[in-house]
Amino acid sequence: MPRYAMVIDLQRCVGCGACSIACRNENNVPDGIFWSNKITETVGTFPNVRYHYMPTLCNHCEYAPCVRGCPTRAMHKLDNGITMHDPKKCIGCKYCEFNCPYGVIYFNWKEPHQFWKNNKALFKGGTSSPREEVEKIGAKKTPYFNPERGATLPANRPKGVVEKCTFCDHRVRKGLLPRCVEACPANARVFGDIKDPDSDVTKLLGKFRPFRLREQLGTNPHVFYIRDFNPAQYRPTKGGV
Amino acid sequence: MNEKKGLYGIWLAALGIAILLGLFTAVKLFTQGHALFNTNDVIIWSLPLAVYIFLALTSSGLTLLAGVPLVLKVIKFEPFAKRLVFLSAATLMGAFVAIGLELGSVGHMFWYLLSPNFSSPIWWMGLIYSVELVVLIVKFWRMHTGDWHSEFSNALGVISFLLAIIAPLMIGSIFGITESRVTYFGPMMSIYSLVLGLLSGTALFLLYSIIFHKISGDDAVERQTSLYNDFTVIFGYVAGIAVVLSILKFAIESATTVPEFLVYHKFEHAFGAWQGFHFEVLLGLFLPFVLLLIPSVRKSIGGKIVTSALILIGTLMMHMEILLAGQSHPVGPKAEQYPEFISYFPSIWEWLVFVFALSVMLLLYTLGERYLKLAEIP
Repeated sequence: MPRYAMVIDLQRCVGCGACSIACRNENNVPDGIFWSNKITETVGTFPNVRYHYMPTLCNHCEYAPCVRGCPTRAMHKLDNGITMHDPKKCIGCKYCEFNCPYGVIYFNWKEPHQFWKNNKALFKGGTSSPREEVEKIGAKKTPYFNPERGATLPANRPKGVVEKCTFCDHRVRKGLLPRCVEACPANARVFGDIKDPDSDVTKLLGKFRPFRLREQLGTNPHVFYIRDFNPAQYRPTKGGV
Repeated sequence: MNEKKGLYGIWLAALGIAILLGLFTAVKLFTQGHALFNTNDVIIWSLPLAVYIFLALTSSGLTLLAGVPLVLKVIKFEPFAKRLVFLSAATLMGAFVAIGLELGSVGHMFWYLLSPNFSSPIWWMGLIYSVELVVLIVKFWRMHTGDWHSEFSNALGVISFLLAIIAPLMIGSIFGITESRVTYFGPMMSIYSLVLGLLSGTALFLLYSIIFHKISGDDAVERQTSLYNDFTVIFGYVAGIAVVLSILKFAIESATTVPEFLVYHKFEHAFGAWQGFHFEVLLGLFLPFVLLLIPSVRKSIGGKIVTSALILIGTLMMHMEILLAGQSHPVGPKAEQYPEFISYFPSIWEWLVFVFALSVMLLLYTLGERYLKLAEIP
């Protein structure tokens, strides 16, 4: 059985957000919820400032606090290491969200995709209403509805349960890459079996010095970061007193 | 007499209206979702959960107090025992109302039994409190039928006593094993929960008993002055332990440079503070503790009412403050969608959950006093 992991090459990542958009489309992610997200940081004092960008997603931890704490095992591990959530078992206690050290689990506070139920056109007689658009396309809830997501998880999750990234388990089991990996124009995301010594993931982890988020917590995250995007140059100097 | 009947009717009507409002709130929550709360993906748990924690711990405190005559066999407190057992069960039912409306998908609760997770403190907490409620009801039924000291009845008392110790420790461990929220991590929350539970249980019993007897117009408090005074001494000791723990907690929070703890000093506290001490701790714990040290205050009925009321309100506010302080800043990428620190005030729907839980509890108290002879002794 493989053990899936992801390497994110921060030197290649340009912060375009294509991963997040692709994820939303693939997984029918509602407004306000981010399976694929980012941490941005501005460091320094003006004018010596720099902007840092770090893509984030569920770390599919080996010792996942969300899995340990879930009272009904709605949050559980698959044999391939993916941390999966079953909304049918979720009682909406939100302990996983409370317990996650990485801030990647969200709660459906209201019925998702409500915008697309709106029957009011922006310009009456000129534009169609969101609901009309959905009906014309024959989609479910949103015009960009992806029914394939429903293979392993309700394609649209109901209100009152949590949701998060699943490494696109429905694609992985068909031999496809997670959608964010496929969509990345800079090949900054590399996905594969960390147990396979010949996988690209394993090779990259051996070549560079990877780091993971909040490693000191001992959760053993399976999203690794390598390198850094920083083309800045500076004149060699020893500083001064 | 007629005036009393009239007031009783008004009281029942008020509780009835509050419960109807609560049922309306339940329907709204399960049709429209928990967006009705002023919560978000940073402030995840709010007033309804604080109310649950408060009532559940108070119930544990009441059970532990019932254990004084029933398990530890301090016979002089037997006149309090039946009422303590009843109040504990009724308070726990109020807690269940609050947690039921906190959960997003209460309809999925059957998975609690079908798919248990033995490593989850929430699972254990739910199991322990459910078993405790059943044990308390059976124990009360045995006492009501005159069986106070049979082997079976004693066993029920011991089981409920042990469960009442474990349950608060389990509530604390829900927070205590959260590695990612350093202000909660460790055994402190479990110890604090147990002590605060005993404290609020003691305060509730004292306040409720005195008010009930005064409203009923009987002279039970005067007749049992020495018993009430002894009970108030227990109250004082428990308050003292809570004071020591609070000072210890404050000292650790003041000394550390861990950023999450600095929230306490850098930003305004939920209910205000003086010299770093939270107002709810100063007014809801330290002040009543000092008052309890004065014999004349401790022995007076007014003193008992004031100190127990202050502590009861104070402990609820302490639970609220602790709950919010650990959630006040977004974790990881959530800082992209939310400000650095989040402020919170409960929505009308959260207040209604609070009112619903209290009304169910008070209705049970009222019916219990009316029909179940809570002052009975063996």
